[in-house]
Amino acid sequence: MRKYLTVFGLSFQNEFVYRLNFIMWRFRNVIRILMTFVLWNSVFSTNKMAFGYTREQMLTYVFLVLVVYAFVASAPSNDNIGGEISSGDLSNYLVKPISYMRYWLTRDWASKLLNIIFAAVETSLLYLWLRPQISLASSPLLIFLGVLMCVLAALIYYFLTKSAIFISFWTPESTWGLMFVVLVLLETLAGVIFPLDILPLWAGKLLQFTPFPYLVYLPIQILLGKFTLMQTLRLLLQAGLWVIGSWYIATKIWKSGQKVYGASGR
Amino acid sequence: MDTVIRVNKLKKYYKVHQKEPGLGGSIKSLFSRKYYDVKAVNGVSFEINEGELVGFIGPNGAGKTTTLKVLSGLLYPSSGHVSVLGYTPWDRKPEFQKQFSLVMGQKNQLWWDLPAIESFILNREIYEVPKEKYQQTLDELVELLEVKDILKVQVRKLSLGQRMKMELIAALIHSPKILFLDEPTIGLDVVMQKKMRDFVKEYNKRYTATIILTSHYMDDVKELCQRVIIIDKGQILFDGALDEIIKKFANHKTLTVVFSKKVSAEDLADIGKVKEFDFPKAVIVVKRPTASLAAAELLQNFPVADLNIEEPEIEDIIREVFTGRDLA
Repeated sequence: MRKYLTVFGLSFQNEFVYRLNFIMWRFRNVIRILMTFVLWNSVFSTNKMAFGYTREQMLTYVFLVLVVYAFVASAPSNDNIGGEISSGDLSNYLVKPISYMRYWLTRDWASKLLNIIFAAVETSLLYLWLRPQISLASSPLLIFLGVLMCVLAALIYYFLTKSAIFISFWTPESTWGLMFVVLVLLETLAGVIFPLDILPLWAGKLLQFTPFPYLVYLPIQILLGKFTLMQTLRLLLQAGLWVIGSWYIATKIWKSGQKVYGASGR
Repeated sequence: MDTVIRVNKLKKYYKVHQKEPGLGGSIKSLFSRKYYDVKAVNGVSFEINEGELVGFIGPNGAGKTTTLKVLSGLLYPSSGHVSVLGYTPWDRKPEFQKQFSLVMGQKNQLWWDLPAIESFILNREIYEVPKEKYQQTLDELVELLEVKDILKVQVRKLSLGQRMKMELIAALIHSPKILFLDEPTIGLDVVMQKKMRDFVKEYNKRYTATIILTSHYMDDVKELCQRVIIIDKGQILFDGALDEIIKKFANHKTLTVVFSKKVSAEDLADIGKVKEFDFPKAVIVVKRPTASLAAAELLQNFPVADLNIEEPEIEDIIREVFTGRDLA
């Protein structure tokens, strides 16, 4: 366990090396929040309701998406693993008594922690400036369960994206393109671009049987107090099952990938 | 002495797809790909004892690195049996991984943006080295490699030579019993190459570590290895002491003659193959068994001022072996 704590510490230090890069990236985040606000504000300037949402409801959703998604999807593993497989740098880890999967999970969480800290500051400032009416669930227990759901979502996200990125073992040349498609798909189906309940009923029903709504849409709905305690607990249980399922798939692909890994590039 | 590495009829084949050059070739390869098998290692067997320092030599693509990768558990072999310290490498058991290290001259394991010392600490945790043991090993290595001043400098700011030294420390911090060194001197200047060699020699002696080294530089092998294994096209051509190579493969000797009076090159051609002729000096290559006869003939029939019979250079022999060309 201690080795992963050290990895955590190093990742943290590493993020700070590129200070300017980090600041720019945070700046991009702020711009994104502002843009989305402007967009939805103009949609609601002529309509009272859009897609069954009032202005306040939509702004609340959008605001929460930015916070939740920044947490769930901040994953340097997505940018690095494909390259490490195709360049053969993966060999450095494989010869050591350390689990590659846990190594990158640790690095992702270091990045998440850093992001949370900065996002908390930015979001508070933006909140004070824009003053959106946000109506969260009234019970602290539900808020807590919502946060717990975010943690599970981050795990599902990790294993799903890893399942995709481990395809690089077979197609080391096309890692980037593959990840791009997967991430865009994930964003859409997870409810990052729009809340999933504006989809036609059949599409929403279909999505229920996939892990995608658990990534962003459902955690937010819990935080907004859209579900009763019993419904929430059930969703948490299902999310837990998806964690196990996606972990199983990622591990399977990882294991068979090892067999074809060429440790190339000397 | 214990045998620590056993390799029996090891084979490793790769499937590689061929792409014709240019954009046309790329588009074509989207739809249909021709695959062919590369026999990187093709039936290799050897055993290595504890404390041995063995050199793998062979041209590029001979299968040296592939063999090392199988030994360190990175690759699954196509067939054959391999045992290192009693373990099957590709099972990747932590107990096994704690006892060896793989250093690749062109790969770095250090965290690029942080000082090397941070990577050492991480390795200490990964390999679960006790703190005192770590400090002791680190102090020794730092002294041997003379890197005290640069431990806290960002890795990216180090020169290649400095970085290689740091890579070595990172690879040795858990005091591995077995060391696989793949081209450890590649890209280093002559002075650094020498230092690296001295270090490897010292490490081998001090810790009775078993070391396999691959290198393109004959000097590395000549200076370090009592035993060499020559690999070409995935097969072992020779396994034994360095000077045995000469006995086994050299089928010629070199006569260097200095003449006191003018002689014609055509006359010399009767003695053997004239490799160089620049009056008064000539270098003649003759078949090994006839060397003394040729020398006697020279002395009898030519105005000889000086005569030397020499064994060929190891580099020459190895080159001959690989190119399948006979100098004599």
